[in-house]
Amino acid sequence: MKQFRQDLGHKVEHSFWGTFIGIFLFFCCAIAITLVVPPLVDPTWSENTSHYQKQLYELGDPRVFISNSVTGNYDLQFVAYMEAGKTLSAFIEGEHSRIVAPEPLKKYISKENGPIHLTNKILFLRQPSSSFKDEVERLQGELKKAFTEEKPNWKEKGMTLPIFQVMELYDSGLKEGFSTSATEGALEDFAESDFVLVDMESKDKGHLFIKNPVEYRVREIEVPTGKGYLYSQKGKPIASLDELKKMGFWSRQELIEKGERIYAIEGCWYCHTDQTRTLVQDVVLNGSDAYPAPPSTASEYIYQDVTFPGTRRIGPDLSRTGVKRPSRDWHKAHFWAPKTASPGSIMPSFQHFFDDDPRGTPGAKVGVPNLQFEAIYQYMMTKGTRLTSPSKAWWLGQDPVNTKEIIDGHAK
Amino acid sequence: METSKVIYNDEPVKWLLYPALCFLIFGMLVGLFISINGFLMPDYFSGEYIHFGRVRPVHVGSVLLLWLLSADVGLLFYLVPRLCGRSLWNPTLAKIGISIWWFSLIFGNLSYPFGTNWGWEYAELPMFVAFVPVKVIFLVGWLMMAATMLVTIAGRVYEKMYVSLWYSLGAIIWTTITVYIGWFYIYQIEGGISRVNASFFYVHNLVGLIFTPMGLAIAYYFLPKFANTPIYSHRLSMVGFWSIAFTYAWIGAHHIIHGPVSQWLQTTAIVFSLWLFIPVWSVVTNLFGTLRGNWKKYLESPGIRFIMMGNVFYLLTCVQGPLMALRNINEITSKTDWVIGHSHISLFGTFTFFAIAGVYYVIPRIVKKPLWSPELADWHFTLNLFGSLFFILPLWIGGFLQGLEWANWANGKTYAEYLQNISVVPFIETVAHMQPWWLLRTLGGAIVVFANFIFVFNMFNTIILPPREETAALKESA
Repeated sequence: MKQFRQDLGHKVEHSFWGTFIGIFLFFCCAIAITLVVPPLVDPTWSENTSHYQKQLYELGDPRVFISNSVTGNYDLQFVAYMEAGKTLSAFIEGEHSRIVAPEPLKKYISKENGPIHLTNKILFLRQPSSSFKDEVERLQGELKKAFTEEKPNWKEKGMTLPIFQVMELYDSGLKEGFSTSATEGALEDFAESDFVLVDMESKDKGHLFIKNPVEYRVREIEVPTGKGYLYSQKGKPIASLDELKKMGFWSRQELIEKGERIYAIEGCWYCHTDQTRTLVQDVVLNGSDAYPAPPSTASEYIYQDVTFPGTRRIGPDLSRTGVKRPSRDWHKAHFWAPKTASPGSIMPSFQHFFDDDPRGTPGAKVGVPNLQFEAIYQYMMTKGTRLTSPSKAWWLGQDPVNTKEIIDGHAK
Repeated sequence: METSKVIYNDEPVKWLLYPALCFLIFGMLVGLFISINGFLMPDYFSGEYIHFGRVRPVHVGSVLLLWLLSADVGLLFYLVPRLCGRSLWNPTLAKIGISIWWFSLIFGNLSYPFGTNWGWEYAELPMFVAFVPVKVIFLVGWLMMAATMLVTIAGRVYEKMYVSLWYSLGAIIWTTITVYIGWFYIYQIEGGISRVNASFFYVHNLVGLIFTPMGLAIAYYFLPKFANTPIYSHRLSMVGFWSIAFTYAWIGAHHIIHGPVSQWLQTTAIVFSLWLFIPVWSVVTNLFGTLRGNWKKYLESPGIRFIMMGNVFYLLTCVQGPLMALRNINEITSKTDWVIGHSHISLFGTFTFFAIAGVYYVIPRIVKKPLWSPELADWHFTLNLFGSLFFILPLWIGGFLQGLEWANWANGKTYAEYLQNISVVPFIETVAHMQPWWLLRTLGGAIVVFANFIFVFNMFNTIILPPREETAALKESA
């Protein structure tokens, strides 16, 4: 027996190839099971959290364009790029607004409390043309009558008469067009259950749509740095996507990608984690005043090139920032001087995110103002806001990933 | 084991060790700087190129790759030929590899403040720095160096492989695959958690399957050399080796426990983490056993002291590691400064101590001069040890306390109670509570930097100056 063991020991030690192959096999086995298998057996590593997330990343972000587009006007402009057959829009009447349209287009109008009518044609709203003059007056009269009947003593209450707006719906006949976008921030209009698809079919259970699009037209103006553009209904329409980009517009997708890159370059991830762990302290740290934040799932991250779960929390976790801190102004002040904006913080200031003006307002440039800031802002606004459609959001008390069960350890 | 008849070519050793010593000081100074500018006087020097997030990767890259990895590989170039009984195969190829290794690492590491950080931990190197493909260059350089060592081992004169050779062979294979996965493979898979998983596989194996086998090869080789005694047990070292080979690669996911990865993967990582006790105990027992009955040698040689203290730290770090992987302990320690303390005790306390011991042995022998000042070496060890305790203990204690403060938010039964807890001690306040610990960390760090300045000073004096008269002549032990 002793002889046998010595022989074996010698043979094993003797064998360069035995060692080599042994190390290699052990290693490959571990790689196969811990690296190759998990994405194959766990669908959440590649599945969407919701239709909303999928459509926002794939359909929404590449088609929402952002720029100030003109010197002297620091307000951002949001332009939606519409493609016939791909993007959907809806024309919804409000409490004090009505839409007029020629007979064939009437089916695209949604009533105030009815189902949302969605179309993939490129239709726009505009000030009613003279042929609708009588109908506009009639509708305005009806609205006024309804208002005064409902609130007969509105004058005594000190109320002012609302503006009763009537817009005309018309068919642009375009294959691609540009509209002003009603939504700008992290949340988009999404038709979840109560909707009608007009003249089209789709198996999707929900649809991102543009609400009441008005064609985006611009007037050229002279600015010190060259040509600037001013939004004007009487201006000329945008001819193509290239033209829009030449005017200095960036899509939200491009901004989010740039934001992710900035997050890496600046080393944000050394001090901030990007994961709500399945722990009570994490769901309360990231939660709203009324509801716990749902713990992060693998599905949240599938559209990222680099993901930053993080290993150290010198600053708070950022995985639900889009909900906890949605304000662009708050982030501007905070990046400019974190120690002032949030006393006790040790975060460095990021004044190089801003163009040359000391208060973080842009210099005389055409394009996205404070480009780096806007990029990191748009990136952070994706955090926690895209898990489910807004109507099923966790901050409204809905629980998309069974927060409580996960915390209690009951869920898989 | 060796014969003095073989003439060894030590040029590759010098090419790696000398610059590595400079980067030891450089990397530690950067670390000291960020401990002050990031924490004690946050953002005192502010601006795009100098704030914490831009400079931290320079510290990590410098001490990790430019110092520790380079020094470890340099020491392998010393011990591998001697254990094989033949001169290194093709030293010219090795030197070409080393040249482009240095070029890519220095160029890559110093570029981080200018916005090249790629965003993966320990793999911040981008594909290109100003059109220079640093990652590919590094890998090519490493493959050249690895080839010379592999051929040397394959064509060795001594039939039996000493345990250090096993570890070297393992390190060569593991380094190649691990670096490939962390730097290249990660972009061939889907974005999101798949990449995170690959990243943590890489992060852990960088320590577990690159620095651990290299460090243990060094400890197993130089401790018997310093003490002039054989290793305590070859069989035990084999147990250690194969259990490392079996367990380490499985545990990457323990970096993201409670995180957004599958529960079974977390559990697998935890189970394999616990198995790490086997290689750790075998290594620790073996190294302590080697010095059994010979403890007076601990007093005589700073090299032995560094290896033995490194061994103590190895025990500590490897007791911590598996425990930190347990879900309930992880809940407290994870994401706090405990983790920073843990990474420093393993990479600095253990493997840097081992590498320093190796450098103390190797440099006097390759320049064929005695150590310039043994007294300074004594000072180096003492200051380094106490400095590192001052610097690591506060991180553990402070981090643990911060973790407890966070866990206290979860006291109660309803969400309202949790909210009440967090409003009493908000997050920002738990950060403020770290300040005294961060101060101690900086003080300890300053001592460590000073100690290692003495070390590098002593080493370059040994290399450059003629031997001092009072130093006893040191012969290369055959």
